[in-house]
Amino acid sequence: MNASVLKTLFSDAAYAALAPLFALGIGALAVLVAGLFPLGKVARAVLVLLTLLAAAALNVGMLLGDSVPGLVLDGTFVADRTTAMWGVIFTIGVGLAWLFSRHYYDEDASHQNEHDVLMLASALGMSLMAGARDLIVFFIGLELLSIPLYALAAFRRNRAKSVEAGLKYFLLGAFAAGFFLYGSALIYAVSGTLKLDVFADPASRAKILESPMALVGVAMLTGSLFFKISVFPFHLWVPDVYEGSPTPVTGLMATGTKAAAFAFLLNALLALPSSTSTSLAIIALITMALGNLGALVQQDVKRMLAYSGIAHAGVVLLGIAGAVAGDPKQGGAVQAALFYMAAYVATAGGAFGVLALLERDGERMTTLEGLKGLGQRRPYLAAALTVFMLSLAGIPATGGFLGKWMVFSVAVRAEMIPAAVVGVLLSVVALGYYLRVIIAMWMQEPGEDSPLASTRAIALPATLASAACVALVLVMGLAPRWFLDHM
Amino acid sequence: MQYELVLLTFLPLLGALAIAFTPKGAERLQRLAALATTLVVAALGVRLFLAYGDSGSDQGRFLFELPWFSLPSSYGADTAVNFKLGLDGVSLLMVTLTAVLMPIVILSTWGHVHKRVKEFMVWMLVMQTGMLGTFLALDLVLFYFFWEISLIPLYFLIGIWGGERRLYATVKFFLYTLAGSLVMMVAIIWILWTRGTSDVFELINILCRAPLTEQLWLFAAFALAFGIKVPLLPFHTWLPDAHTEAPTSGSVVLAGVLLKMGTYGLVRFCIHMLPGAAVEAAPVMMALGAIGILYGALLAWAQDDLKRLIACSSVSHLGYVVLGLFALTPAGINGGMLQMVNHGISTGLLFLLVGMIYERRHSRALDAFGGVAVAMPLFALFWVITTLSSVGLPGLNGFVGEYLVLVGAFQASPLWAIVGLSGVIFGAVYMLMATRRMLFGALDKPENRELTDLNAREIGLMLPLVALVVWLGVSPNTFMAKTQPSIEMVNLRIAEARRAALAGLDAAPAAPASQREESAR
Repeated sequence: MNASVLKTLFSDAAYAALAPLFALGIGALAVLVAGLFPLGKVARAVLVLLTLLAAAALNVGMLLGDSVPGLVLDGTFVADRTTAMWGVIFTIGVGLAWLFSRHYYDEDASHQNEHDVLMLASALGMSLMAGARDLIVFFIGLELLSIPLYALAAFRRNRAKSVEAGLKYFLLGAFAAGFFLYGSALIYAVSGTLKLDVFADPASRAKILESPMALVGVAMLTGSLFFKISVFPFHLWVPDVYEGSPTPVTGLMATGTKAAAFAFLLNALLALPSSTSTSLAIIALITMALGNLGALVQQDVKRMLAYSGIAHAGVVLLGIAGAVAGDPKQGGAVQAALFYMAAYVATAGGAFGVLALLERDGERMTTLEGLKGLGQRRPYLAAALTVFMLSLAGIPATGGFLGKWMVFSVAVRAEMIPAAVVGVLLSVVALGYYLRVIIAMWMQEPGEDSPLASTRAIALPATLASAACVALVLVMGLAPRWFLDHM
Repeated sequence: MQYELVLLTFLPLLGALAIAFTPKGAERLQRLAALATTLVVAALGVRLFLAYGDSGSDQGRFLFELPWFSLPSSYGADTAVNFKLGLDGVSLLMVTLTAVLMPIVILSTWGHVHKRVKEFMVWMLVMQTGMLGTFLALDLVLFYFFWEISLIPLYFLIGIWGGERRLYATVKFFLYTLAGSLVMMVAIIWILWTRGTSDVFELINILCRAPLTEQLWLFAAFALAFGIKVPLLPFHTWLPDAHTEAPTSGSVVLAGVLLKMGTYGLVRFCIHMLPGAAVEAAPVMMALGAIGILYGALLAWAQDDLKRLIACSSVSHLGYVVLGLFALTPAGINGGMLQMVNHGISTGLLFLLVGMIYERRHSRALDAFGGVAVAMPLFALFWVITTLSSVGLPGLNGFVGEYLVLVGAFQASPLWAIVGLSGVIFGAVYMLMATRRMLFGALDKPENRELTDLNAREIGLMLPLVALVVWLGVSPNTFMAKTQPSIEMVNLRIAEARRAALAGLDAAPAAPASQREESAR
């Protein structure tokens, strides 16, 4: 490779495009190195916070700036307003998980440093995934996200369930990664390139997809992405892994991973011919049905939220199916998915965070039984969780409502009205279990198993994070103009 | 820009916020604060009612409009969603009723709400904001916002302060109404995308020209949401449960105002916005209304629980409203609108009375009573007046509404008018039988001998409603004159749609009748 090639590869635009990623990477390394020195908890926390703030600021700068770098690195990575918005969402998601994890490992905080490094690395992976326009770049992002998550899932290493979750996630994740690589190889064999651009031109796409080998490749890629967003039939790992993982990590998995995989899926849509839209819609509806029905019978709220996460993935997939079928509004599906996932990150992130707080107070606080009477004992926490439940259920005045509205709008615009109607009716089923959480907290008296009122004050970081989530959910629901204009 | 309506809508919410931050034990303060808030709102509401003249713009008065956000539309430019509130003849009576009923409801809670008073008052006030917003919203998205939000307070009110089976009832209520609403949401998304506006009056002008098939689909989606709320047969099963389990004040609000959100929606959207489909679907809707009258009456007849009896009578009375509205004649629509108010007042009163006797006797079974008139003469007086109003005695409010509805229905379809008329008879039967079993006969049960009569608070809170019962019965024109201009607009649309339907028939190839007529000429 000669100097001029290097010069075009690493242009100013490339540096500008990668700045948020550099910030995260450098920050992660800095935190890792800082662990070697007796710096104290606060100093290291400041370092993590600065890293996240820097990444967020760089992304916001790109979002509000006059021009964006666009395609860089020989067309393998894109930095535009959409990826900047994804970047903001990821930093918020990771930031929330990090804040909620602050006092979560109190009994065993000896590896807090590594924990923080892994979280920052996963944020880097997400950002790389969202901007990837090349299968290998995406794969690097995917692994940068997944490997930290495998470790984080098993982070409570003295608990069997946590280790089991980590192992399960790792084994299945490894298979998914294998599928992804093999699919990429098959596509490369047919098309001679790993860039997504080849699919942009309908003629060349048709030519590539003529080959059964490429079709198998696309199917394998889709399967591995479906694994990450937990869509039928690749959703079975979700409940166990979500339940076993430390709750802040579960929050990160549920929000960040899914958002990143959706970000790439929206980029990779080009590869899917419009004839697949019906099957995608059917898969979306099945996913919603399985997620909602599964959640209905859960007693553990963490497990319930895992199933609900499956259903939410189904909703976004329905929007994607609409986009594949042909959304007459240019970029409408991306806007809808961005808004939906932004609201979901704040909502589910907050919900898992509140659960993490409760869990600290006693073993079984995350069951419905344990939540009984919470409204009397801890009204603010219960109120926050109520807002999250209503947002997940898509009730107006919350971000979840407008997100649902926009995703179903994509389906309606693509004239998939029967699917939209079935979809909204399935979300009525979802209400059945969200309401049960509210019932337990406000309408039932504490049972015999319910732990007594804890006197432990909630730590400041977690208070801030919960308040921020509630504020974000309500602002997105009541004054969504800024978000809609920038997505 | 005028702020009356914003103030009216959000004052209760402000009150709720203020109450939320009062200390936990200060129950007296919380009750009084809620009462004061609702009294101010009631005063504002009455002032608006008086200020609303017989003439003026029919496209909403006291308008308040703020840009809110925008959503995609097929016209390139986005659909502007505005925060638009306005009062017109269709919403006027409902808004006034909501404002006036609320202090009475709050005052009634002195007797039956003893636990978690703070939360109760907060939810009551939030509910008032939701209901007022629903009636005042003149933007489709804003309407949907308020429509769905108003579910939540009642969900809590039933779920926390309700009876034995409150959890079952409240979840059923929520899921039923939500299922209908969400289908309406898909319809609204479609309208916003294809028509590029969210303004109710603009849409009323645009959608009346929509092709009939599209109108019918939209009508079906809207009618499902509103029909479940009303509730229209066969979607009525949530109502008896919700009513029976709700605390008295919840029942009063539910019967008095919340159900009217459904009938209001039928007038505003199903009839006014989609007149073509309304003309087409009128026979079906009239049939559902009329059968509802009869079926609700029979259901009520079979009840032993007083509260359930009144809940079932609600199904019957709202059948009149639907029958009248979908007669699509001036008399029918006027009667339907009036009957909405009448039902709110009479059934509200009935629920209040049942609540009062339940607080004393802790039973609602008809068998537990007998001879109560001896022990509680004042109670008996109020009960009899309310019953007579409910069964439509001339001179009281129920008569005018029912009469207009039946006249209107007879013009449109004699069959369903007759079915409805038979409901009047059954209505008298079950209400008077209940009255006899409860109030009269021998005072043979020892518990009933110890019943104390109504106190000053209870009498005071019912007096305004009784006054309205008489006023509406003697001089309904005070109210109907104000709604008239808006209802005439609805009538105009219906007439247009009828003409269009006839013209459509003429244009169709198989139109021998008109050809024959022409050749005969």
